[in-house]
Amino acid sequence: MIARDGEITLGLSQPEVGQGSYTVLPQILADELDADWQRVKVRFVTGRDAYKIAFKNEPPVQKEGASMSTTVLYARLRTAGAQAREVLIRAAADHWKVTADQCRADKGFVVGPQGQRLSYGALAAAAAKLPLAASPPLKQRADFALIGKPLARLDTVAKCTGTAVFGIDVVVPGMLYGAIQSAPSFTGSLTAIRNEAEILKLPGVRAIVRLPAVHVANEEPGSQHPGTAQSPRHNAVCVVADRFWQAKRAAEALDLVFDPGAGGDLSTAKIDGLLQTAMMADKTVTAVETGRPREILQERASSIIERRFTVPHVTHAPLEPVNATASWKDGAVEVWGPIQAVATCQDAIVASLGIKADAIKLNVTFLGGSFGRKIVPDYVVQAVHASKAVGRPVKLIRTREQDLRHGIFRVNAGGRFRAVLDQRGYPLAVQARVVGQSLFGATRKSWLDQTPEGAWDESMVDGIYNQDYRLPNFLVETVDTPLPVPVYFMRSVGSTAAVFFWESFISELAHRAGIDQYIYRRELLADNPLALRVLDAVAEAAQWKSPPTSGMARGISYNCYVGRGGRFRTYVAQVVELEPVGDRLAVKRVFCAVDPGLTVNPNTLTAQIQGGIGFAMTTALLSRITFANGGAEQSNFLDYPLLAIDGMPEIVPIILPSDRPPQGFGEVVLAPLAPAIAQALLLASGRRIDSMPLPAAAFRRPT
Amino acid sequence: MKLSLRINGAARQVEVDGDTPLLWVLREELGLLGTKFGCGAAFCGACTVLMGDVPVRSCSLPVSEVGDGAVTTIEGIAGREAMAVQRAWIAGDVPQCGYCQSGQIMGAIALLKATKRPTDSDIDQAMSGNLCRCATYVRIREAIHAAARDLEGPR
Ligand code: FES
Ligand code: FES
Repeated sequence: MIARDGEITLGLSQPEVGQGSYTVLPQILADELDADWQRVKVRFVTGRDAYKIAFKNEPPVQKEGASMSTTVLYARLRTAGAQAREVLIRAAADHWKVTADQCRADKGFVVGPQGQRLSYGALAAAAAKLPLAASPPLKQRADFALIGKPLARLDTVAKCTGTAVFGIDVVVPGMLYGAIQSAPSFTGSLTAIRNEAEILKLPGVRAIVRLPAVHVANEEPGSQHPGTAQSPRHNAVCVVADRFWQAKRAAEALDLVFDPGAGGDLSTAKIDGLLQTAMMADKTVTAVETGRPREILQERASSIIERRFTVPHVTHAPLEPVNATASWKDGAVEVWGPIQAVATCQDAIVASLGIKADAIKLNVTFLGGSFGRKIVPDYVVQAVHASKAVGRPVKLIRTREQDLRHGIFRVNAGGRFRAVLDQRGYPLAVQARVVGQSLFGATRKSWLDQTPEGAWDESMVDGIYNQDYRLPNFLVETVDTPLPVPVYFMRSVGSTAAVFFWESFISELAHRAGIDQYIYRRELLADNPLALRVLDAVAEAAQWKSPPTSGMARGISYNCYVGRGGRFRTYVAQVVELEPVGDRLAVKRVFCAVDPGLTVNPNTLTAQIQGGIGFAMTTALLSRITFANGGAEQSNFLDYPLLAIDGMPEIVPIILPSDRPPQGFGEVVLAPLAPAIAQALLLASGRRIDSMPLPAAAFRRPT
Repeated sequence: MKLSLRINGAARQVEVDGDTPLLWVLREELGLLGTKFGCGAAFCGACTVLMGDVPVRSCSLPVSEVGDGAVTTIEGIAGREAMAVQRAWIAGDVPQCGYCQSGQIMGAIALLKATKRPTDSDIDQAMSGNLCRCATYVRIREAIHAAARDLEGPR
């Protein structure tokens, strides 16, 4: 929208979770529009078809995820900007009675043949009446005024003054507060409240609401956990009170009896047992088979190199716990909250409340982190039910304990990798097997790849099935172990596990072959110039060819992050340096080379490299969710710690120029970190690491 | 209970349950929403405010124990250190999601009030209770050093 005074407001369909969409997407449109960047404002919008994007094979919806916003919207935003510029120029030309090609745009003005100027604000009304050109000419790269510039983020000032409105900050007149207490088991249900009368007498308490079971992360009805009757759900009781503290205190004092349900015996021991069995199973689904891997491995059985790995479930833990404010009135509802996927949220409310989509109005705030968590709208549905029950607006906030225990988890995984090497020490035949709970199987069956042997889930083998290394005989297989654990996409999805397995195995092969880790990867990537470019860039920046300084341990890794449906390819290579701190080795420096396609904003891209590696440090070193009695055991940052500043390495970003359009970026730098650290420890001490989080003992200095 | 508090230089009267943490009084009684809830148990620092010049976790401080301590929240920061920190934070484009940043800024102000030219290890020590899930730590560190340089400059 262009106001009379020339202020331009852009409606932002993509949520701002910290990744910088609030700045980068407007930057693209404003460039083609030739807008004055100083006069650009942004607000979040919902509810129109133009806001929708498609990720894979499904109909388009309004959401952010899979690092798609910039990639998918780049062309659309440029076209929109150019269309608007074009009608503004035509409006000015009409006014001056000249032709459009005698006029040009200049930072919020149209300039005529005699140098006369009209502002966009003055032209907006007339321009709005003109028809838009379907495909207006777009700028050449050399003419970009904003794209490629390290512009400061538009949301920084609000976030440094405490004025940015997150979901938890929403204030609605007359609102009450809700706090929940949930069934400890994912399949549990409430049997009794033993002290209801007592709790109702506590200060401020207005109501105790038995929330209906909310199904979690089940985007396609019927997808959730095929093969188990133990579909996870979230069963909770909500206390509504005048103040949050009163609600929380009362909810914690509830004496609740739950039936743990069919999944009540779920435990970490049981899950690990399933992984171990699946790793050795006879029946698998073949995802990729090239050459004669099975035959060669059989013929050369005595020289097989084998490694096995596991990673646990982990969780997003955004710093803003999930929360939502809902106001139910006469069969319609308005919601405010940190919502990452408007469409998913609307669908969930429709399904749970039985109202029509047009009776729902959603207002998106800033998100205090998400990483995929706030796509799953269980907390929003709960807030709507609470408001409906009490007939007043309710802000429902999960405590950290409720947020973590009843979080949504990233799947676990196990890997079994076998190979034989040729005479030069390079892989002749490789078998890569990944097992574990299938994310697509649990949440969106339609994304599975069907084969005669069964279905496989590409996210389990992200970075393996789509292979850049030259492997003449290659077998990739998967085994799904369905579990009653609510799972969902988490930043970098399956690649954190799969690339850890894969790159660690490549490290093992290079190590056995006695070949330098960089040279080994270089050789395997010899046919792929874009891959070589990032690998060479990182090796050069880190001076890999010179020996490490005394006491230092180094590791190098590579991955190409392929977007869902092959939408994008972002190349990443990292070198980590570990240095002695007391009797331990600590990650001190990470060199990270990326080929992200065109860089729209080097400032936000650099922030994603820095923050992405920090996020990956937490997963690599600290994160593990364990289960007992059907539920998660961790409850706060004491037992689910996050990396703090004292563990943050120095980051050296190397951003390569590229002629390709912008590729996805928010998730891509995470996966290569853990295997690079593991390799450094292998090279320094001979210790082999086969699980994440990387065991603390492995960091003791070799003596 | 009725209490009189000193918040951002002004006397504020509230009537709340005495065990209510200061955090919820700031947010729900006084409308000071810049101070955030992250863990409720002094693990994350999102709720950090200053009591005098000392950073405290307002989620774990019952309001009845605040007494006449001078509380400063992100909305009320003032003075040389505070302005230098806020400027450095904005110039360095520190925030990503931004949720932790009020707490980070309060922590940094307290650090610079206590230590003129903090070293990296001073920063590690003072700031490691302020978690950032987006891991903006590189820029937090740079911003603290920049603010310290700014404060040392000619004046
Ligand atoms: S909310 Fe107070 S320290 Fe986390
Ligand atoms: S900026 Fe997101 S938690 Fe710190």
